[in-house]
Amino acid sequence: MAEHAVKACHKERPFAPFTKIGSLLAAMCGISGIFAYHYAANAIDRAELVRTRDHMTARGPDGKGEWIADDGRIGFGHRRLAIIDLSDAGAQPMISADGKLIVTFNGEIYNYRQLRGGLETSGHVFRSRSDTEVLLHLYAQKGEAMVHDLRGMFALAVWDVERRKLFLARDPYGIKPLYYSDDGWTFRFASQVKALLAGGKIGRYLEPAGQVGFYLFGSVPEPYTSYREIRSLPAGTTLVVDRIGAHEPRRYHSVAQVYRQAESGARSRRGVDGAEPMEDVRGALLDSVRHHLVADVPIGAFLSAGIDSGVLVGLMRDAGQHDIQTVTLAFAEFRGRPEDEAPLAEEVARLYGTRHTTRIVTEAEFNADLPRILEAMDQPSIDGINTWFVSKAARELGLKVAVSGLGGDELFGGYPSFRDIPRWVALLAAPARVPLLGKAARMAGAPLVRALGGSTKSPGMLELGGSYEGAYLLRRGLFMPWELGQVLPPDVIAEGLCRLAPLRLIAQALEPRPRAPHAKVAALEASLYMRNQLLRDTDWASMAHSLEVRTPLVDPVLLRRVAAMTAATREPRRGVPKASLALSPSKRLPGRIVSRAKSGFTTPIGRWLQSRTMTPAAGRHKVQLTAHWSRQWAERLAVG
Amino acid sequence: MRLLALVTDGFGASGGIARYNQDLMAALSQSAAISRIAVLPRVASATSATPAKVRQLAPSADRAVWSARALALGAQQRFDVVFCGHLNAVPLAAAIAGFRRMPLWLQVHGIEAWQPRAALYRRGLAAAALITSVSRYTRARLLAWGDVPPHRLRVLPNTVAPGYAPRPGRCDLAVRHGLSGRRIILTVGRLSASERYKGHDRLIAALPAILARVPDAAYLIVGSGDDGPRLERLAREAGVCDRVVFAGQVPDVELAEYFQLAHVFAMPSTGEGFGIAFLEAAASGLPVIGGNRDGSVDALAEGRIGRLVDPEACAEIAAAVIDALTGNHPACAAAEANRFAFNRFATHVDDLVRSLAR
Repeated sequence: MAEHAVKACHKERPFAPFTKIGSLLAAMCGISGIFAYHYAANAIDRAELVRTRDHMTARGPDGKGEWIADDGRIGFGHRRLAIIDLSDAGAQPMISADGKLIVTFNGEIYNYRQLRGGLETSGHVFRSRSDTEVLLHLYAQKGEAMVHDLRGMFALAVWDVERRKLFLARDPYGIKPLYYSDDGWTFRFASQVKALLAGGKIGRYLEPAGQVGFYLFGSVPEPYTSYREIRSLPAGTTLVVDRIGAHEPRRYHSVAQVYRQAESGARSRRGVDGAEPMEDVRGALLDSVRHHLVADVPIGAFLSAGIDSGVLVGLMRDAGQHDIQTVTLAFAEFRGRPEDEAPLAEEVARLYGTRHTTRIVTEAEFNADLPRILEAMDQPSIDGINTWFVSKAARELGLKVAVSGLGGDELFGGYPSFRDIPRWVALLAAPARVPLLGKAARMAGAPLVRALGGSTKSPGMLELGGSYEGAYLLRRGLFMPWELGQVLPPDVIAEGLCRLAPLRLIAQALEPRPRAPHAKVAALEASLYMRNQLLRDTDWASMAHSLEVRTPLVDPVLLRRVAAMTAATREPRRGVPKASLALSPSKRLPGRIVSRAKSGFTTPIGRWLQSRTMTPAAGRHKVQLTAHWSRQWAERLAVG
Repeated sequence: MRLLALVTDGFGASGGIARYNQDLMAALSQSAAISRIAVLPRVASATSATPAKVRQLAPSADRAVWSARALALGAQQRFDVVFCGHLNAVPLAAAIAGFRRMPLWLQVHGIEAWQPRAALYRRGLAAAALITSVSRYTRARLLAWGDVPPHRLRVLPNTVAPGYAPRPGRCDLAVRHGLSGRRIILTVGRLSASERYKGHDRLIAALPAILARVPDAAYLIVGSGDDGPRLERLAREAGVCDRVVFAGQVPDVELAEYFQLAHVFAMPSTGEGFGIAFLEAAASGLPVIGGNRDGSVDALAEGRIGRLVDPEACAEIAAAVIDALTGNHPACAAAEANRFAFNRFATHVDDLVRSLAR
């Protein structure tokens, strides 16, 4: 299963093209801030603010800014990746004309023109063409409710001078990261965990829930991080900090809620006219792609041999893009073998007439880059290395922005989990209710499975497979809870499991619980695997190369429309099939691409990593050298 | 809001926790959001004056009796909030709050909250809508083991009473303790054999080095407890017993005069929840020295109010004391010491009360 997880995420790291529209002053960057909110706290330390900000230079190599309030109680930092415009108009932190609001912002607001038009109609006067300024006016008009109007990827902080209130928000899916620390006197935030640590005022005590979570899932699940004093602001939430401190993060978006609402809407519509409204998948996809093409510069695309990236390139063509630069990773080890993506990707590139580059990655390059990869990896992750190399390749081609097909499997049921989890739950729900039966079966079956060399997860089927939460842990888990003794001391396991409560954490992704099996798995995959692993890895691995990656298949508007289509189909339990996605471009993808995607693809990176773990130093590790490379790699990452 | 306060030490009791409770009740009484406060203490003076809106019930030293009275009070009278003044009482307070569906506000002070507690206490913590801690250090220690979302755990530091200010010292006090003409190092705190964290012993150990540079120095210890004999023995063994004075317990009303007598306040503690004595010393115009490993860091405002030293390093303690006695480490500016003034404390308490009502 772990092997599948790795393969699947490779498959879902595809690629896209070049466009040139409009006047957006892109704001991809690193943000930070310090707020000495407590009356007893010392004024903020400018040197700390600068240290935190400048640790994120790779996120924003083209400019830097800082703002500190006159009373010294709050300050913002900003590192800027200027896509084109380096004028002061887009500089951050940005202060409103009346001086009442200050914003620092990381991300892109794809509907900023529409928002601006509406605000201007309401009487707002703009000083620049920047999407950042739209945020200031929108907050002035709507306050915290502004997040409902934003379409894009963002992490932002607004200081409300009159109310002495700090407002933070993170986009619905968590594409852009935002971490914070509140010591009881002073609140700090930044785009990276390591940047917060670089400030020098936050302790490095390890968080047991983060340690356990990393081994269970292969990434640290939010809101935890590796460090006790640093938390991730959960995706789709806002946070207010006032003079008593940080309040509870408030959720404004939930993938499960979208599916649930779509199901309710479909039922009520059926009740009215008996019809099943079927919206055009192509229209929804094209709308999202068009929004994601807003930029000052050419936008490239990651292109694999899978459906998702090919479809996106096709839709970019349909959206009117003519000059499209695509890039594909290839490996000498795979040349002439079925695993080689390059030939099919090149076929897609020819089909859509892109300027295409196949970039060969070798083991020598991997070994040379590994120290920098580990340095850039903000939190431990068993993945993301392929994104590192494709981002590197894109940057070498001069791209600052690239489109990725990430998110297609979560939306259109591309993972085996969509098939397996509902099946397991249906089969095992009844026996799993018998008290202690599952645990007894695991304890009795484990020695047998070990002797036969079977999956270490299989003894837990009866214990976990009867619920969506448990079945998801089985499907996605790197280590099972009962295996943690191989890698962590007992006290850390006990404390970590108690704080993390993995099944409860998974269940939170199903709040409110959708009815259809497809919707349940889609909510789990989007809210856990995609959020904590794929999107986070994409962020650190691309930003390390000062590359902005956009993900049109990770879009709340698209989700709403696809969820409505899913609920309205005659078989909502199966969802909208991936074939609908494949059929979306006006120029259809070759059949070979569609059929190949079903088998997934892999890279030799796992083998390279494994060969590094087979060093003499590996002798101090507890995970068996026969274990899957991802398990060995996880241990190496954690042990250091 | 009507508030039921279950506290160990109420009005008329002495010590750091009693002082904290008294200040907190005084601040609560000033909050427009509070209409009435019933204080049920275990230790208090029945005749002590209380602030407006505050009614202190007769104390019950016996834990069982006190608990029964708390349960009866919670059942019979209507309150909107339960305040629990000590972690030891949180299971009881949580039961009352849960039964009457009221928010629970828990106060934690120091070492009682630093080590993991049994499930009963963890459940009590988890039930609290608001937990206030005297320092960031205690907050962090509690967060390390308690199942508490960080946003429920706020810091509410000690505050300093207005009676502490720089004034000339009383000659008769110096004469009484044989300290005339000495440059005096002062520590105020209980001498507890079971705790031994305040650093009296480490200061005694540093005294020979201090005397080598400041021959007229003397060490004045205010406070009493069962660790006194050990400290006296240590002073003898170090050959400084003639320079160590044990003043014993001092009434609160006289305490300010002892601060005025001293030239430096030093308490290199390793177990301080906050250390209100630091604030009193700073407000009295003294240079202040504290440890860098506990709540003292907050009391000294990360070094703005006083000098932080490694409390286990005798040489560092000695150097800091010598600097203070020789004028190389002056007292902090009054504005720094004023950061913990009562009006700021009371405003924060009002904010916290209102957050409970939201």
